[in-house]
Amino acid sequence: MSIFTLNQVRKTFTHGEVSEEILKGISLSLKEGKVTALVGASGSGKSTLLTIAAGLQPASNGQIQFDGKNLSGMNAEQVRKIRAKEFGFVFQFAHLVPFLTVEEQLMLMLDVSESTLTKQDQKRKVTEMLEFVEMNHRKKAYPASLSGGEKQRVAIARALIHQPKMLFADEPTASLDSKKSKDVMKLIRDLTKDLNLTTLMVTHDEEMLAYVDQIVKMSDGTLVV
Amino acid sequence: MKMAWKEMKKNKARFLILGSIVFLISFLTFIISGLANGLSQDNAALIKDLPDGQFYLNKDADQNYTFSRIDHVIQTELLNEHPDAVAFSMQMGFLHDEAEKQQSVAFVTATDSKWFPKVNKGEVILDRSLEDEGMKIGDHLTNPQFSGHLTVKGFVDQKKFSHAPVAFIHKEDFQEMYRVDEMQLVFLPEADSSQEYTGLESFSNSEFLNTIASYKAEQMSLNMIVWFLVVISGLLFAIFFYMMNVQKLGLYGILKAIGMKTSSLFNMMWTQMVVITAIALTLATALSQIFNRLAPSGMPFHLPLNTTIFLSVIFLLIGFIGATVSGIQIKKVQPLQAIQQGEM
Repeated sequence: MSIFTLNQVRKTFTHGEVSEEILKGISLSLKEGKVTALVGASGSGKSTLLTIAAGLQPASNGQIQFDGKNLSGMNAEQVRKIRAKEFGFVFQFAHLVPFLTVEEQLMLMLDVSESTLTKQDQKRKVTEMLEFVEMNHRKKAYPASLSGGEKQRVAIARALIHQPKMLFADEPTASLDSKKSKDVMKLIRDLTKDLNLTTLMVTHDEEMLAYVDQIVKMSDGTLVV
Repeated sequence: MKMAWKEMKKNKARFLILGSIVFLISFLTFIISGLANGLSQDNAALIKDLPDGQFYLNKDADQNYTFSRIDHVIQTELLNEHPDAVAFSMQMGFLHDEAEKQQSVAFVTATDSKWFPKVNKGEVILDRSLEDEGMKIGDHLTNPQFSGHLTVKGFVDQKKFSHAPVAFIHKEDFQEMYRVDEMQLVFLPEADSSQEYTGLESFSNSEFLNTIASYKAEQMSLNMIVWFLVVISGLLFAIFFYMMNVQKLGLYGILKAIGMKTSSLFNMMWTQMVVITAIALTLATALSQIFNRLAPSGMPFHLPLNTTIFLSVIFLLIGFIGATVSGIQIKKVQPLQAIQQGEM
């Protein structure tokens, strides 16, 4: 079943008098429980598409439907609420909050998503999630003392602690070595299945495509069939 | 709130530096304010200790009490009309003690009232600072313009005028010294400016203080320093939080990307500002109050607690404005920029 659809999405950037169309009418459907990878050369528009789909920047034209709601017709505050409650994000770099421990990073996300759980239940949930990503033994550690792979595991846990419906990942393995990249990709694939997520990720590492269900290739702002 | 506290705990040195600077500036402001108040007391405690009311000078005196002469008829009329009123005169002069040591004083004479001590002819009541100079009750003091001698009858606390200790003397002794029959001023307590009298010009307490040339100039300079320091502290907050916000733009962008409200980020910054300022101001207030008690008696320093509380509130307000202005960047930061910037 498709929970997320893009219909004729266009994005044009204007620099002075020069306009450049980065996305030229993209239409795409994403299915629940599946990992979709956007691939393509640099400048093909895959990161722009991901950030528009994730509500981080608006499309110039077209429609974005998420769970029956028209994302493109919403105002900034409505989109923020969707991002906080329904979306999870994993970036190229972990982007953890430097002054919070691993456990606190996840508690913060529950706070941002306005979780209605009691503090005790929140703590239990954090422990479960950290066990899931095998980081519970480092729950009192600060980001500065974690390795790149560990940071990315915590970032994934943070992205999923509030049980979002969508996971957006922008080159989540780009800053990791080959072994850690595979570990992270396995984790994303397993979590997508287990939690019935819809995952859209950008990657240009072909080795990682072994862990995805659907590959969407982009070239010059269009989808290549 | 919790996040603000956790950041402060993790980055102690950074916040300690800001707190120390706020503490030093606020402490310096309190001390200068104490000096301004102290000098003000030293210059005009005699007038400042009087309740709110109206001072009347002769209109021809050109707002200068030394030139003022209140007509006897008007003075009698005013004093009869207002039982609490007092007519008085002040002149700078000298007293010689028994060892011929000269002491500069402000001679004051007044009609009977509850505002000034009653002195008999041939007697003098002195400000207590002269007791520290070695004068004591029963001493015989002389003045070159006075034929007899003045016997010290007692001392009073904190009665200064024009940076000199006050010497209260009898009207007849004052008249002999300065060859004037009339009083210079009439003071009506609780009166307001609507009460006018022919030939007299009225002044509120603060207006009258400002007619004393040295008082106005001195207070203007010191108050300018105090307010300058207050403004500097506001700028300091703005600059410091600007620097911190610039360093944290990436973090703010990521937090916005994951759905955190901009208002939560502002709350975080405000909480840090209030905590730092409150701790720094509490320390500065405590230390300045200790200094107020321990300051040498000869030092013109007077710092009432309500003055420090008032200045503290101003500091908090200025800090809040400074931090908020610098926080405009938080509103402007785009999540996308932060994501594309790389690791924080």
